[in-house]
Amino acid sequence: MRRLLIGIVLAFFTLFLALPLIVVFQGALAKGLGTFLIAFTDHDILHSVQITLLVAVIAVPANALFGIAAAWAITRFRFWGRALLLALIDLPLWVSPVIGGLIYVLLCGRRGYLGPWLQAHDIRIIFALPGMVLTTTFVTFPFVARSLIPLMEAQGCEEEEAALTLGAGGFEILRRITLPKIRWGFFYGLILCNARAMGEFGAVSVVSAKISGMTNTMPLEIERLYNDYLFASAFAVASALSLLALITLSLKTLAEWENKRQFEAGQCSLLEPTIEGNGDQLKG
Amino acid sequence: MSIEITSLTKSFGAFPAVNDVSLKIETGEMVAFLGPSGSGKTTLLRLIAGLEFADKGEIFFEDENVTMKSANERKAGFVFQSYALFNHMTIFENIAFGLRVAPRSKRLSKEKIHERVLSLLETIQLSGLENRFPVQLSGGQRQRIAFARALAVEPKVLLLDEPFGALDAKVRRELRTWLGEFHERTRLTSLFVTHDQEEAFEVADRVVIFDKGSIQKLGTPEEIRSGVSNAFVRDFLALDI
Repeated sequence: MRRLLIGIVLAFFTLFLALPLIVVFQGALAKGLGTFLIAFTDHDILHSVQITLLVAVIAVPANALFGIAAAWAITRFRFWGRALLLALIDLPLWVSPVIGGLIYVLLCGRRGYLGPWLQAHDIRIIFALPGMVLTTTFVTFPFVARSLIPLMEAQGCEEEEAALTLGAGGFEILRRITLPKIRWGFFYGLILCNARAMGEFGAVSVVSAKISGMTNTMPLEIERLYNDYLFASAFAVASALSLLALITLSLKTLAEWENKRQFEAGQCSLLEPTIEGNGDQLKG
Repeated sequence: MSIEITSLTKSFGAFPAVNDVSLKIETGEMVAFLGPSGSGKTTLLRLIAGLEFADKGEIFFEDENVTMKSANERKAGFVFQSYALFNHMTIFENIAFGLRVAPRSKRLSKEKIHERVLSLLETIQLSGLENRFPVQLSGGQRQRIAFARALAVEPKVLLLDEPFGALDAKVRRELRTWLGEFHERTRLTSLFVTHDQEEAFEVADRVVIFDKGSIQKLGTPEEIRSGVSNAFVRDFLALDI
């Protein structure tokens, strides 16, 4: 039974996870390393890498801030609308990313609610970089908050209360107590958020003008190359994106290991014999 | 520092945890809040510390009305049942915390902080442990570190929430005696919450017995033992009068 289960899992893993990854890299290198490398001298492709990084560089820190603020508010305070906020954080995970993109078109598009005002002030959001940043931020919002909330809930707020009675202010408590305690969960959330931000296709494709060399991110560029029958280049960009995913995966694993190690370090020292024989006894 | 509480009320939802409590604690007193769990004694202590805010009533430290002041302004030394030490910091950093977060104008120099921490460690008889982490210490040691951390900022009042609740009987008795001696020496106004009558009667100058959010009886241990009591107090103390 055990063997059967492990066999099924391994077969599934090979078929659905490992094989596609191998195919991507094989496709990228099918016409030799030369073609693979030439793809990354192409202006449009390089530009798509830049756009992807730029979007992530804005969306990830923004969600880091939102995530900490949301997790702090939800776990440390009881307020009206708390349950609603908790549900809303998950919203981007429930709705299709395409809808996430459409929301911003309805809001900021030419005929949207804010459209006339934005046009009057000559601000372009839809079919431009701001829209792509906004939708990516929307889609990746849950990751940081979601990895922090259970962690902070479990840790409780006694240490923070202790810091408060010792005269520490809010930011002092955040910097010296809360952040050091949640740092691995925070890092974990950040890399998940980053992976999704770089890989997002649906939401971004709705609000991007999809002009290669201008508003295409890497996933959008892959689609364009593929539709233009430029398979080698498409796979080359795809393999670069997969590589980013693999780096993310190893960072995530590293974060888990490190977290476990530190936790166990605490556990182990608990079992250590305490100093002065029976440490419980008062001297004198 | 004296503490005066006037008709303090605090509810959680529809449940009144503290119900119209008035109390005056004199400078230098050690007062025990005694009662079964859920009687409101811990809530009252947290209200005094500023960790909870009252729905009605007022709190005075000496002549100052602190009802609306936050915990970091009131700076009452608070000791938690579960120690609440900062596990990612060494013992030294734990005790120095309150000194390091003080406003720049009032902050001590590095050398002075070092000196103060080491002398506090001596007071609690745990010299030499400054580079350890909290997880490396026993429960009794941790609770003494928590005392030292609260005392480091020289509070004018010490609030102890079931300080010995998580310790075994032997350590409890030792720490209780130590606390009594410490209070004799410093005469620091202290309030402590307990559900253990032996503890309350042994250490406290006065004992306040709580039930269902209100004071049932108040007095010195002798007065409570000998005086007239209502049915709850008689029952709770198992007195045969």
